[in-house]
Amino acid sequence: MNRGFCLLAQNNKDTNYIRQAYALALSLHKYNTGQRISLITNDIVPKEWQSVFDQIIPIPWTDSAEDSDWKIENRWKVYHASPYDETIVLEADMLITQDITHWWDELSKHDLFFVSNVKTYRNETVDSRFYRKTFDANNLPNLYSALHYFKKGNTAKEFYILLEIIVNNWELFYTRYAKEEYQKWCSIDVCAAIASKILGNEKEITNPNSFITFTHMKTRLQKWKNIPNNWTSVLGQYFRDDGTLLLGNYVQTNVLHYVEDNFLKDSVIEKLK
Amino acid sequence: MSQGVFLFAQNNHTIDYIKQSIFCAKKIKKHLGLPVALATDNVEYLEKHFPFYKKYIDHVIPLEWKECKQIKTFFDGSMSKRELEWRNHERPEVYNLTPFDETLVMDTDFIIGNDILKNAFGTSEEFLIFRDIKDLNYDRPGINIFDYVSDKSVDMYWATVFYFKKTPSMKLFFDLIAHIKDNWKFYRIIHQIPTIKFRNDFAFSIAIHMLNGHQRTSWPKSLPGNLWFTTDSDILIKTEDEKYTFLLGKKDWVGHYTLSSIKEANIHIMNKFSLDRAIDEVLSDE
Repeated sequence: MNRGFCLLAQNNKDTNYIRQAYALALSLHKYNTGQRISLITNDIVPKEWQSVFDQIIPIPWTDSAEDSDWKIENRWKVYHASPYDETIVLEADMLITQDITHWWDELSKHDLFFVSNVKTYRNETVDSRFYRKTFDANNLPNLYSALHYFKKGNTAKEFYILLEIIVNNWELFYTRYAKEEYQKWCSIDVCAAIASKILGNEKEITNPNSFITFTHMKTRLQKWKNIPNNWTSVLGQYFRDDGTLLLGNYVQTNVLHYVEDNFLKDSVIEKLK
Repeated sequence: MSQGVFLFAQNNHTIDYIKQSIFCAKKIKKHLGLPVALATDNVEYLEKHFPFYKKYIDHVIPLEWKECKQIKTFFDGSMSKRELEWRNHERPEVYNLTPFDETLVMDTDFIIGNDILKNAFGTSEEFLIFRDIKDLNYDRPGINIFDYVSDKSVDMYWATVFYFKKTPSMKLFFDLIAHIKDNWKFYRIIHQIPTIKFRNDFAFSIAIHMLNGHQRTSWPKSLPGNLWFTTDSDILIKTEDEKYTFLLGKKDWVGHYTLSSIKEANIHIMNKFSLDRAIDEVLSDE
């Protein structure tokens, strides 16, 4: 069984996601030896960045997100594009801060696995439901697609085929499964949660007590009383020479979903090289 | 292994911490039955005004008197306040000063009302301290309770009362606190602490975080029991043996209070003025 990471990245007018994917790949290689990473994109990848990727794969079929800013319309294609038997899917705006190779043994017990609890930068379990109102109001599984795993086979295939249908008809499905606290945009987390609810597989594809998690840097999740617009404006960010990353005096040991692109300064990338 | 309780008492012009220490030691003797060491920069005052002190204090450790430029606002209920010197810089020295192998250190305004803290001694733990505290006033949830040193910074621990063994790792811990104290301007900026005043709770919390490798771990464990507290906006109005009756300041209603009592508890009474008045009554028959 070959295993690898897949990153789907498409630049938009504001953010260079290819650069983020490059930094993520650098961080994966820095702390995890012998890992394969594939980048799925139709964008041009600078030559000097290409070597960190095992493969650079075009987005299958047509680009469904051509006219979209958020570009989530292609996410369901990861299953079909992945060259691996077992795949960990990561969003581009993440960094790895430790060796996670042992995750494979845990994840391979599942056909499909989504994170359903996330951490603050202080490594506290997030309890804010600010961004998850529609999940609670509609009793949807609390899935985070930013970090998930699949093993190629009927179970994952069935899930992704349904996810494709939901993403392409999200308003119809939202009206049926997420009508309370209705979100007026297509969210891959909500779509994945609806797919899980329809298939009735929540217990098989997630575990809120799992050690497989990530640090989610959305500001309202951080247990702060004074909420800033951007976490990068209020927390010190320090990269030690030994590669340790500290945010606000806390060493980061989880996968870091930094969310804000201005965190990824050139100096951070230099440290990761 | 010798065991005992250590108190610091350094008076300013108004607050008589030495008197508090006599009352505190009296309660320690009653409930914990342990020897008490008192470090003070005014032994003469102790001997002159409290000639009976040896009933409660077993070791007196003289401290050098130092000029203090640190000023703190002390409230006496929500309507009265004074700006006074705040001498709290000696606490990191407790490792070198204590005559005991195992020491329970406490503020003189922390009043013992039961024997539960005896269970801190004789375990394998080198250091025990409270992370969670309990406000006697349930009417103001969240007020004056800090989960963190500052909104964006590290977990808050309370140096009001703590236990330690004399070990090399605890020496390192107290040396680190002394370093943080000596470089307070730096550490308070790094930890986004608005006040310029040095506070032992903050220094202890930062030192714990640093020794944990800048991460959350299960160290240190909590002292047994609860750390109850009343703020200096509350007023202690009556003491009856182990029962303390307070007027508790109402949130958003300055000058309005709720009558409340607590019995046989270990409680931190932050209003020094009302504690002083209550102690006068209790010590009047000495």
